[in-house]
Amino acid sequence: MLDDADDKPCALSRRGFLGGASAAGAALPLVAEAATKPRTGRSVAAPDARAPAQVTLRVNGTDHPLSLDTRTTLLDALREKVGLTGSKKGCDHGQCGACTVHVDGKRVLSCLTLAVMVADKPVTTIEGLARPDGRLHPMQQAFIDRDAFQCGYCTPGQIMSAIACINEGHAKTHSDIREYMSGNLCRCAAYPNIVAAVKQARDVKEG
Amino acid sequence: MGFALHEAKTLAEATMLARDLGPDAMFIAGGTDLIIQINRRVNTPRDVIDLSRIAGLSGISHAGGVFRIGALTKHKTVETYPAFGFGTPYAGLREAARVVGGHQIRNQGTVGGNLANASPAADLIPPLLALDAELDLVGPSGTRTLPLNAFFLGPRRSVRAHDEIITEVRFRDLPPLSAIAFLKAGRRKAMEISIISVAARLTLEADGRCRDARIALGAAAPTPIRAREAEALLEGGVPDEGVVAMSARAALTSVSPIDDVRASSEYRRLLVAALVPRALKICIDRIKSARS
Ligand SMILES: Cc1cc2nc3c(=O)[nH]c(=O)nc-3n(C[C@H](O)[C@H](O)[C@H](O)COP(=O)(O)OP(=O)(O)OC[C@H]3O[C@@H](n4cnc5c(N)ncnc54)[C@H](O)[C@@H]3O)c2cc1C
Ligand code: FES
Ligand code: FES
Repeated sequence: MLDDADDKPCALSRRGFLGGASAAGAALPLVAEAATKPRTGRSVAAPDARAPAQVTLRVNGTDHPLSLDTRTTLLDALREKVGLTGSKKGCDHGQCGACTVHVDGKRVLSCLTLAVMVADKPVTTIEGLARPDGRLHPMQQAFIDRDAFQCGYCTPGQIMSAIACINEGHAKTHSDIREYMSGNLCRCAAYPNIVAAVKQARDVKEG
Repeated sequence: MGFALHEAKTLAEATMLARDLGPDAMFIAGGTDLIIQINRRVNTPRDVIDLSRIAGLSGISHAGGVFRIGALTKHKTVETYPAFGFGTPYAGLREAARVVGGHQIRNQGTVGGNLANASPAADLIPPLLALDAELDLVGPSGTRTLPLNAFFLGPRRSVRAHDEIITEVRFRDLPPLSAIAFLKAGRRKAMEISIISVAARLTLEADGRCRDARIALGAAAPTPIRAREAEALLEGGVPDEGVVAMSARAALTSVSPIDDVRASSEYRRLLVAALVPRALKICIDRIKSARS
């Protein structure tokens, strides 16, 4: 699916190359221009469709200027362009939660988010949780302490969701946690331990 | 091939763009439906017009006896809006919003997208039909208002022109002694499309007779529908068990469910027969407990 060139952060991508070597700064099709010059049908719009969009993603506090095919999802942009492969692709259509990240502090599915639509909004991924000194986020620590995974594939999404679950105030009871974690599937069925981990992290935060 | 993404800052910009770009341009709001369609090549728009940054289209307000829900309002906002909470007459709206996808989907998906999709299984539509909601469509040449039940034409087809934007959906306060309830049957509880959904709304007189009844069904026909025969049977009488059972049978005359991978047509009919009385009873219980 991917080739190595695409994995390099900020590298000129194949798609970007196809679109012509448009320098950074070539902006999205300008609404203002479009609005003032009435256009008819596809003839004018077609060339735009091949042009990569120049966007800056703000991931874990760092700005990443990228040249992206407009179809690129936030998940693909993170994994293939920014080089952060912690967010996982389970289903790529919104059903498993493995790709959960925070945008503007809210948990969303990065596979159902167009990267260009979150330009300039703060994005937090699993890689952004640990402190610079390497100390893990209490939720990461809790997942380890409680053995809340087997294969670990769903874990980054579970942890991002779990943090949101506590922030939203929905980790008060066992059944609340189960309900508010229901957007994240675990093929290994580590659910009981995941609930235990959320409780532990909640109590660390509160205590 | 990709598409050109146009970021609209105002409604006027968005509708003009849509007009000028023609029917191959599509709007995007939360993207939870459109991105999947694009990935599966069900839709291959040349141009996508981003509505998500248009100011003033998001949020719920209540003034002058009218609730207004902006098209960009997220399902999560409907789910957590205090006036739609349990214990209010509008709890059915929360019941619908809280079963749309999972929590992440509800942080992304919008009310306008749910309506514009015109899916027969869209969960917000039955309760809004039961509330006699109306919606505004804004196009390059102006605004038109229509009752929600006049919006849908068929599966994923509506009267909306390609350059018209849904801006808000609204409904009047319910009269006293009213309640609305929503029930959804899917193959599992979380993150599942409805195989049948039922919204019921009752308004009772002080003497217990039914003044007004609405029964709206999702995934039971090519569009979300009202079961008008069933409603008529309820109105004017006391909704006791016999009447409720009769109205459930009458509801079956309104449905024409499909067979698909999720459920057979026969099973869907059984669900309608089971869920309509259940939803009506919830309404009656809610009205009673609000009264006492
Ligand atoms: C895993 C998963 C589970 C889901 N579960 C459910 C469920 O249980 N119940 C349910 O009802 N839905 C469900 N959905 C469908 C979808 O999430 C919702 O219908 C959502 O409300 C769509 O809104 P959106 O803003 O994401 O739409 P988008 O994808 O942005 O748009 C959908 C369509 O509506 C058009 N559109 C959007 N906004 C407007 C507007 N204001 N005016 C005119 N046209 C507009 C777009 O052009 C597009 O054609 C699910 C989706 C996924 C991926
Ligand atoms: S990969 Fe996004 S929900 Fe499965
Ligand atoms: S730990 Fe394997 S999928 Fe959850």
